[in-house]
Amino acid sequence: MTAPLLEVTDLCTYFEARTGTVKSVDGISLHLEKGEILGLVGESGSGKSITGFSLIGLIDKPGRIVSGSIKLDGRELVGLSEPELRKIRGRDIAMVFQDPMMTLNPVLTVLDQMTLALQAHERISDADARLRAVEALRKVRIVDPEQKVDFYPHQFSGGMRQRVAIAIALLHRPKIVIADEPTTALDVSVQAEILVEVKSLVAELGISMIWISHDLATVASISKRIAVMKAGKIVETGLASEVLRTPSHPYTQSLLDALPSRSKPGQRLGAGANDIDGESAARPIAAAMADPSFVAMDGLVKVFEQKRGFWARLGERSGLLKSKKPVLAVENVDLTIAKGEALGLVGESGSGKSTLGRIVCGIYQPTEGRITLNNSPVMSAGPQPRKLTTNVQMIFQDPFASLDPRRTIGQSIAEGPIAHGLTSKAEARSYVAEWLKAVSLDPAFADRYPHQFSGGQRQRIAIARALAMRPDVIVCDEPVASLDVSIQAQILNLLLQLRKELGLTLLFISHDLSVVRHLCDRVAVMYRGKIIEVGTAEEIFDAPQEAYTRALLNAIPKLA
Amino acid sequence: MVAFIVRRLWQAALVMLVMSLLVFLGVFVIGNPVDVLISPDATQDIRNRVIAQYGLDLPIWQQYLHFASNLLHGDLGRSFVYNMPVSQLIASRFPATMELAVIAVLLASLIGIPLGIYAGYKPESWTAKVIMALSILGFSVPTFWIGLMLIMVFAVQLGIMPAGGRGETISVFGVPLSFLTFDGMRHLILPAVNLSLFKMSMMIRLAASGTREVMLTDTIKFARAAGIHEWTILRRHVLRLISIPLVTVFGLELGSTIAFAVVTETIYSWPGLGKLIIDSITSLDRPVMVAYLMLVSLMFITINLIVDLAYAVLDPRMRHGGGK
Repeated sequence: MTAPLLEVTDLCTYFEARTGTVKSVDGISLHLEKGEILGLVGESGSGKSITGFSLIGLIDKPGRIVSGSIKLDGRELVGLSEPELRKIRGRDIAMVFQDPMMTLNPVLTVLDQMTLALQAHERISDADARLRAVEALRKVRIVDPEQKVDFYPHQFSGGMRQRVAIAIALLHRPKIVIADEPTTALDVSVQAEILVEVKSLVAELGISMIWISHDLATVASISKRIAVMKAGKIVETGLASEVLRTPSHPYTQSLLDALPSRSKPGQRLGAGANDIDGESAARPIAAAMADPSFVAMDGLVKVFEQKRGFWARLGERSGLLKSKKPVLAVENVDLTIAKGEALGLVGESGSGKSTLGRIVCGIYQPTEGRITLNNSPVMSAGPQPRKLTTNVQMIFQDPFASLDPRRTIGQSIAEGPIAHGLTSKAEARSYVAEWLKAVSLDPAFADRYPHQFSGGQRQRIAIARALAMRPDVIVCDEPVASLDVSIQAQILNLLLQLRKELGLTLLFISHDLSVVRHLCDRVAVMYRGKIIEVGTAEEIFDAPQEAYTRALLNAIPKLA
Repeated sequence: MVAFIVRRLWQAALVMLVMSLLVFLGVFVIGNPVDVLISPDATQDIRNRVIAQYGLDLPIWQQYLHFASNLLHGDLGRSFVYNMPVSQLIASRFPATMELAVIAVLLASLIGIPLGIYAGYKPESWTAKVIMALSILGFSVPTFWIGLMLIMVFAVQLGIMPAGGRGETISVFGVPLSFLTFDGMRHLILPAVNLSLFKMSMMIRLAASGTREVMLTDTIKFARAAGIHEWTILRRHVLRLISIPLVTVFGLELGSTIAFAVVTETIYSWPGLGKLIIDSITSLDRPVMVAYLMLVSLMFITINLIVDLAYAVLDPRMRHGGGK
C-alpha cells in the first residue's frame, strides 16, 4: 500500500488564553487517500474547524501548532515558513467556508476575486484569467458564466454564492479541498443539489476532500469514511455505514440518540449527560383536543411595500422610473390551530413562514384578513394597531440577540409580567424563580447576565421569559436552528414536557423537517407565501400530496 | 439612481432656503452696520441717506425678499467695508483656502490611511501602539497650540520656514496657486501640516478600527486560504472594504477645512476665507457674512452629494438596489 495523500499524526493545536491553555486540537491522527471524501463530525467547540485551519496553516495567534506532523504527499507541512505555506494554500490545499455571504468580498466582482486567487500562484494575463474564471464557473454548473463572472456576490442566491466559493477553491485544481460546514447556511433543497454536485466534482477532478460538519446526516450522505471529534480528540473513525449502525464510542451513540429523525415522534430524546430531569413526555393525542379553531387565521395577507418619497412616486407615475414591486410575503392564508395542538410550519427561506409567525404573534399587522385567538382579535384595527393580548408569546432563533445584554435575566423575565400586572415588584423574584425552575434552570441564575450562559441555556431563558407571561400560545421561530444536536434535543424535550404540563398551543416554525415531525401533530407546508399543504404529521411525511412537499422531503439527507 | 439625484437636489434646495432664512435673520439681529459704516459725527441727514441707500429702512421681510431675489440672480451683494461685490471678494480669497484645505486633507489621507491600516493589521506591534498613541495626541492637543509650536521651532528657532503669508504664486487659468513655486510651497507646508494633524488622527483611527474588524472576517480568511499574498489582501480586499467610512470623513473634512480653517489662517496670516470671515465679523460687514455662510452651506450640500454618489461607486450593493 502506498502512503496516503495526507497523513496527520498526533497533531496538537493549542491556544494560549489568559485563563490557561485551550487544547483545541489535542493529538489527532487521520489520513486521507486520493479521491476520497472524509467526513469530520463534531459539535461546536469540538475542534473540527481548528483542525481544518491547522491543515492549511492558518492558525492565528495566540494559537499555534505545538506538536505533531502533517504530511502532504510525504512532505512535512508543520514548521514550514509562511511564504512556503502560502504557496501550498489554494494550490495544493484549498478551503471552503460555511457562509458564502461572508466569505466572498461584497465589493469585488467574481472575476476580480478569481483573478486575485489565480495571480496568487501563477502569472496570468487578464484575458486568460477571464477564460479560466468562466471555465471554473461552468464547472460548478452556473448558468451563463460569461455574464455571471462580472456579477457581484450579492447578485447571486445563497446556493449560487457557495458554488462560486467552491469554484474559487477549485481554480488551481488542488489536491485537497477542506469544506467547513459548506451547506449549513443553505436550504435543504439547495443543500441536496450541492451535495450531489460536490460528489461528482470530486470524482471528475480526482481531488480529495475533508467535509467538516456538525450534521451527521449530510456527512453520512457524502463521505465514505467519517471521523467523530469531541473536545479536540477523534473518538471514533471508520466507514460511515458502520459507525452509524454500530457506533463503538458512547459519544457517537449519544449524538445519534439526540437526532429526532432516529426516534419515534414525540419520544424523549437522548440528550447526553447534561440533560434536564423529567419523565418521558409522550405527545398529547390530537383527537383529545377541544376547540379546533382556538387560533384562527382568516384570509391573512401581508404585503411589504417599499417606502417611497414624493419624487419617486411622481417619477413612477410619469413612467420615468421603474416602480418597485411590493413584496407579497403572505398570500391568503387560512389556518387554524386547536387548543393544545402543535402546528409545524415548514418551508424554505423566503417562503413567508417567519412573517406569518409574526402576524400570529401580533408583531406585524396583516395587510388583509384577521387573526383571532379564542374568538377575540389579536390586534386592534385602525391605522395604529396595537396588540391586544398577552396570550401569544414568541421565541426567536437567536436567544442572544433577543435578550438585553445589560440586564440580568431575572430583570428580563420579570419586565413583561410586572408591566401587565401578572406579578408585583415585590413578588417578582419568586415569580421568576418559579419559571426558571419550569425550564429546569437554577433559580439563582436570575442575577446573571445573558453572556454568562451557553446557547442552550439562553434559549431556555427565552422560553422562561415567554412562559412568564402565562400565554396560551407560543410561536417558536426556528428555536433550535442554531443549536448543537444534543442541546437541540434538550430543548425539544423541554418543549414536549411543557406542552404536556401547561397545555400550551404551539406554532412551531422550522426548516428542519425532522424536528417538526418529532414535535408537531399537524404540519403546514408553506411555499412562496401560500400554504400549499396541511395535514397530520403522518400524512405529510408518509403520504405527501404536493410535488413540492415530496421534493422537500427527498432533499433531506438520510442516515444510512 | 436618477430618482436619488432628483430627490437629493430637491432636498438641497429646501436646505438652502431654510439656511438663507436662518442666516439672514441671525445676522440681522447682531449689531447695527450703520454705526460701522459712517462716522459718529455724521449728520442725521447723511445717516438717513445711507440707511435708505442700503435698504436698511425697509421692514425685515422686504429686506429678505430683496436679498433672496438678488441671490437667485447670482448677486451676493456689496461689501460695506471693501465696497466691492462680495462674489469678487470671496473669489479672490477662495483659491488660497482651497489650496490649503486640499493639501491638508490629502496629507491626512495619504499618510493617515496607510498608517491606520498598518496599525490595524498588526495591532500588537509596538509601531502600531506608537501610531495609535500619537493619533490620540493629535486629537487632543489644540490646533492653535501646535500651530504656534510649529512657528516657534521651524520659523523662529531654526529659521528654515516662513512664519506666515502666502509667498510667491503662479497663475493657472487666472487662479493664483502657491504650491507650484518653491517659495509658495515653503509658505504652505506649515499651515497645511498644522491643519492636517487632527484629520490625520481621525483617518488613522478609522482606518485602524476598520482594518482590525475586516481582518477577522471570513472574507479575509477565504482570501488567505486561496494563498493570496498579505500585501495584495490589504491593497485589494481590505482597502476597498474600509473605504466607505473613509470617504465620508474625507468629504466632510474637506468641507469643514475649507469653511473653518479660521484658526490656522489667522495664526499663519494666510489670506484665505477664514481670515476674511473673521475680519467681516469684527467690522459687521453683513453681506460678506451672509454670502459666506450661504456658500459654506452650498459647499457642504455639494460635498455630501458627491460622497453619496461615491458610495454607489464603491459599494455595488447600493448600485443595484441592494441584496439582503
